[in-house]
Order: sequence, then structure tokens, then C-alpha cells
Amino acid sequence: MVSDVLRARVGELAARVYGEVEECLGVLELTVNYPDAIAALTGAKNFAEVPCDFLHDLCGMDLGDHLEVVYQLSSLRGPQRLRIVARVERDNPMIDSATHIWKGADFLEREAFDMFGIKFSGHPNLKRIYMWDDFEGYPMRKDYVIESHEQRAVMRVRKEGE
Amino acid sequence: MDVKKEKELRDAEAMEQKNILITSVDKFLNWGRVHSFWPVSFGLACCAIEMASTGDPRYDISRFGYEYFQASPRNADLMIVAGTLTRKMAPIARRIYDQMAEPKWVIAMGNCACAGGPFADSYAVVPGADSIVPVDVYVPGCPPRPESLLFGMLQLKQKVQNPAKARLIKHGK
Repeated sequence: MVSDVLRARVGELAARVYGEVEECLGVLELTVNYPDAIAALTGAKNFAEVPCDFLHDLCGMDLGDHLEVVYQLSSLRGPQRLRIVARVERDNPMIDSATHIWKGADFLEREAFDMFGIKFSGHPNLKRIYMWDDFEGYPMRKDYVIESHEQRAVMRVRKEGE
Repeated sequence: MDVKKEKELRDAEAMEQKNILITSVDKFLNWGRVHSFWPVSFGLACCAIEMASTGDPRYDISRFGYEYFQASPRNADLMIVAGTLTRKMAPIARRIYDQMAEPKWVIAMGNCACAGGPFADSYAVVPGADSIVPVDVYVPGCPPRPESLLFGMLQLKQKVQNPAKARLIKHGK
């Protein structure tokens, strides 16, 4: 039940940012490459009649050969919803931060960094949020190997200020 | 306590009288300790809700004298590890335990504190609180019903009052 106005706007935006549009689970999904992600987000926030101005969620995904950052946009002023998927390279995962568009992206991007290792350039405080600061590895990646029972049952030394 | 346990305790008591003598001073002190386990509030996750509802009027932990949940570990003598112990929390749990004064006991409440629970294979969870603090009583359940937690605390009461018997009873196989 995607409205025609929204479909038209997303189509225009896709042409501008070289993205692909498809409909997935009742929501339009715009796939772009990571350099165009910020342009796509600002464009979606400034849609004419159907602005998607609420960042509902931001998460990372690991698809084997590349990583993705998924932005779920919705609005408090209307029923419009949009999903923007930004493909990120696996070897050096970097993307611009969305914190200057939405302040709420702060903690969400820290979670994506903690779990997948995706670096957000321009983020005010990019450090781990769930795991402790010295933790090595990115747990939600598909190639992360969980440590054995014996290693996890050992208490680590806690740094001051964690 | 059920009949089989009673019989075991009586046999153990007979054995005890041959081996160990608890002085009457110890007996008096144990009576005081056992009727007033004051837990330090260490609710970590969902089991904390069940621990709180054990303190509510329906299941009433107060009728045993255990209702005074202390905020400071220095005033407490029982630590109920209620909930999932994550690896980030483990040094803090140990620190709280170390700050308690002797005599002190630990109850591991819930599957997560007993052996990791549903998250035993997680990257972020310590599989069982007994690798961090020495546990006296394990209360399994997800979450254990308030009656289970009360049974666990009464088991701890039996253990403290009769330390020799607790050692002599064969638990399970």
C-alpha cells in the first residue's frame, strides 16, 4: 500500500543518486552505494508532500562479500515509510555519518560500529557501545568465531572509566 | 521439606554427632544469621522482576525475615545473582561480592546465573555466575517462580544451620 506520491518521489530520488528501487515487505527499498548515502537521506528527509523525516532505525548487515547499512525511515506526520540500503565495502568499511541530519543516529551508528566494524566518518564519538572498549573483533559479522566456554568464563580486568 | 530429605537429614545428623560438634554459641549465631538473610539488590535481568515479586505481598519474602534488600553490599550478607551475567558486568559483580563482609553467601537465581541459560554460547555472556563468585545454592528456572526462589533460600537456611549435614547429604547421584 505504498502511495503513488511516495513512489514517484522515490523514483526521482533514485535517478539522482544512482540507486535501485524495489518493494520489499510492503516498504519501498532504495539501494545505493555508500558515497551517495547522505544525499539519499537528505533527499528523503526533504520530500515534497511525503517527507520521511524520522529515522526509525539504523543497522548493519553482513552479506558475505560486502556489508550494508540499512536506514529505516518513517514519519511522524504521515504514513510514509522508506528503507535506504547503503552498500559498504567489506575490506575498509567506511561511510559518512548521519548525525548531522538526525541526532538520534549517534547511538545507532555506534552499535553498527561495535557489531560490524563499519566506520562512520564525522561521528562525534565513535566508540563501542555494547562490548567493552578493548574488545577485539566484530561479533555480528558472519566470520566471527565465538570464544570457547573456558575463555568466556574468565573475568577480565576492568579499565577505569568504562 | 519432603520425607526423603528429612530421612537423609536424620541420618546425616546421626553421623554428624559422631564427627563434629557445633558449639552452642555457633548455634545461636547461625540462628540469627539464618533468619535474616539480607540480600544486596543485584537484579541484573528478568529474574530481578521475579525477585521483586517474591517481595510482594502474595509470595511475601518478609515472613522469613529476608525482605530487607540492601542497596549497599557492605550491609548485606546474601547476594542473589538474579539474571544474565554479561562479560562486561563480571568484574563489577566480583567487586560487589568482595565488598560484602563475611559471613556471606550467594544464590544463583535463574538459568542464566546457573549455567548461562539460553545465552550460554553468546559472545557476551559468562556461562554461569559460579566462575566469578562462589555459589551456594542454584535455583534453576527461566525465571524461577517466586516459590522456587523461596525454596532456594530455605535450602540455604538448611545449609547454614547444618553445615556438616549439608556436606554429608548426597545431592542427586
